[in-house]
Amino acid sequence: MIPLNYNLRNLYVRSTTTIATAIGIAFVVAVLAAAMMLVEGLRQTLDKSGKPDTAIIIRKGSDSEMPSSIEDATLNLVKGAPGIAKAADGQSQVMGECVVVLFYDLANGKGKSNALVRGVTADVLSFRPEVKIEQGQMAKAGSDEVIVGQKLVGRFKNMAIGDTIELRKGRLGKIVGVFSAGGSSYESEIWGDLDFVRGSFGRDGVVQSVRVKLTSPAAFDGFEAFVEQDKRLGLEAMGEIDYYRKQSEGTALFLTVLGSLIAVFCSVGAMIGASITMYGAVANRKREIGVLRALGFSKLTIMISFLFESVMLALLGGMLGVLAALALQLVEFKMMNFATFSEIVFRFQATPEILMNSVIAGGVMGVIGGFLPAVRAARTPPIEAMKG
Amino acid sequence: MTLAGLTVKNIGHNWLRTVLTVLGVAIAILSFVLIRTTIDAWETAAKHGAQDRLSTINRVTFVMPLPKRYFQEFNGERGKIEGVTHATWANWFGGKHATREGEFFANFAVDTDSYFDVYQDMAVPPDQLAAWKEDRQGAIIGEALAKQFDWNVGDDVTLVGTIYPGEWKFHIRGIYVATKKSVDRAQFIFHWDYLNENLPPDRRDMIGWIASTVDSAGRAAAVSEAIDKEFDDEDVQTRTMSEQAMNKEFLGGASAILGALDIVSLIIMLIMMLVLGNTIAMGVRERTQEYGVLLALGFRPRHIAAFVVGEGVTIGLLGGGLGLLIAYPLIEQGVGRFLEENMGAWFPYFSIPPEVAAMALGFAALLAAIAAGIPAYRATKLDVIDALRRLA
Repeated sequence: MIPLNYNLRNLYVRSTTTIATAIGIAFVVAVLAAAMMLVEGLRQTLDKSGKPDTAIIIRKGSDSEMPSSIEDATLNLVKGAPGIAKAADGQSQVMGECVVVLFYDLANGKGKSNALVRGVTADVLSFRPEVKIEQGQMAKAGSDEVIVGQKLVGRFKNMAIGDTIELRKGRLGKIVGVFSAGGSSYESEIWGDLDFVRGSFGRDGVVQSVRVKLTSPAAFDGFEAFVEQDKRLGLEAMGEIDYYRKQSEGTALFLTVLGSLIAVFCSVGAMIGASITMYGAVANRKREIGVLRALGFSKLTIMISFLFESVMLALLGGMLGVLAALALQLVEFKMMNFATFSEIVFRFQATPEILMNSVIAGGVMGVIGGFLPAVRAARTPPIEAMKG
Repeated sequence: MTLAGLTVKNIGHNWLRTVLTVLGVAIAILSFVLIRTTIDAWETAAKHGAQDRLSTINRVTFVMPLPKRYFQEFNGERGKIEGVTHATWANWFGGKHATREGEFFANFAVDTDSYFDVYQDMAVPPDQLAAWKEDRQGAIIGEALAKQFDWNVGDDVTLVGTIYPGEWKFHIRGIYVATKKSVDRAQFIFHWDYLNENLPPDRRDMIGWIASTVDSAGRAAAVSEAIDKEFDDEDVQTRTMSEQAMNKEFLGGASAILGALDIVSLIIMLIMMLVLGNTIAMGVRERTQEYGVLLALGFRPRHIAAFVVGEGVTIGLLGGGLGLLIAYPLIEQGVGRFLEENMGAWFPYFSIPPEVAAMALGFAALLAAIAAGIPAYRATKLDVIDALRRLA
């Protein structure tokens, strides 16, 4: 076998070409990693909103909380279902909520965007323990006070403690607190008292979704059977995590397809770049190859040697690309969740798996781009090559 | 032999490398054009949105309805708004295909009598329109939707409601053709009365939005204001804006993606520049001796530089031209057609804008010149003796 050092030194000697090619590959790897990180960020943000021991009930046939409606009377029937956890005071942990998407002015003056307003019950903080009041205080039950998710502050105009938001003409909510929710999509929402919010829209006596804390994730099947078996209720139960996954399905698919398409196109360019570099390397080292052949190295060995060089070149690019992609984690990404028409803010999120796959994709580009040049190197006739 | 002739000879000198570089540039240009066309197609809907057609929605959010009586303030039954020529209303139905539920398309319940007066950019054959008006369960669909689901006039179809639960049966009575690019050609339109009479009493007589045309686009803003003022003292207030303004706001939700695509298209150009620069640099290194000969013959360093840059630009333009040559049939006949026909709701119009093609070629030439810049500069610094001595 030809010492690997031979190839590494060659890359070093031709450093300008090596760097130009590696940067080309780095761009492609960065784009690929960025697309995957974006989907991951979206998924993690929504996954954080769901918990394995929580089920959500919506009206059958509605895809999300938005078009669903469940009467309070039906909600009371659900409380009789098996598998529901009890709070310390013996109450079933069942929570009905209403949601509405409202237009608000953006802080940057670029028109308006949607924000989701959720009507919540008094026990919401014990139901969602990840929610913490960062500034100010919790909205008082039964009042016109509201709290806003921390991602909305600065994104929208007049959304800080002391400001008021208009739910409807004459129905103002006073902002008394800012909350965090462990990075989940709740941080892009506004929360107010259930009766205050639904009363503002003439929806008294109706909630849109019901969340239920189960005794354990395993209790879900029994609970689901009870809720869905009674056809008159017309309800559908889902694990909360599944529900949020489904919400982001369309957006995630869109981002994945778009990202992969772009990466595939770019990678062809980068592979051609690698090919050119490797053809150049083979042509320049024709004599050396001849000498190697004359020394008794087989065709296969020479081919592997050049392929190795190409893969090293590509992996260098892959590494650079991943580093660039990591820097993207600092960037926030805001887009519309097409399932709810409300805005969701998330980050590029790297995982070791994504980074690994991106570097490997870079390596594969090296194998494909370097294959033909390596074959040419292997087929170099030794005598002619040594003549130069 | 002229300098230009030498350039051409040199490009042919290492034909494999030239072919690969041209291919690389072509693919970069192809992706650039594809991405730019996508961005443009996305923005087209907004740019071409009607300026003289207003939408009036619930001030709070478009998900919430308006009382139907508001409409009577438009059409003269209870009042008339100055400047409004036609008005109609519609409800978002949110129905899905019974089996292919993943394929989104817009479906509305509309006021049968007035809808197509307001939406004159949707042309329905008169006999089909009359047949539709006669049939309470009739539906008119867009040509793109008809193709997508293979629906024809006379078919019975069922939509599953998400907002209005249940299975809703319709008869296709007509197919409309869009007379403007920005019109979604995949809509499904049916009688509001059919929807309304099948709803529980407490959900009846609510409408999603009122659409109206104004006598001149210049007055759109003033008329919008007048409409909103009309309902200011009511329980439910309205928000009126032109279709164009509304589309822009809606597309704002996707602006981050458009921004990302924008950056990616530039990254592709950078990759192209690196590939090109690499090729030129290799060529220059290999031909150092030839340059030495040229210098010895009396050519000036600037001739050498022009020579190197000329080679780069030629390859860039060749690649750019090839890229466009592939892009046109691929996008105009292939991808674009497919998207227009199958995803008309998202991309009503998908075609390469001439300025994008021009920009692509311009970029190819400009970036090639820049990429050749460093090797060209190095070549001008060559010492004749050194260059001649160096063996290839």
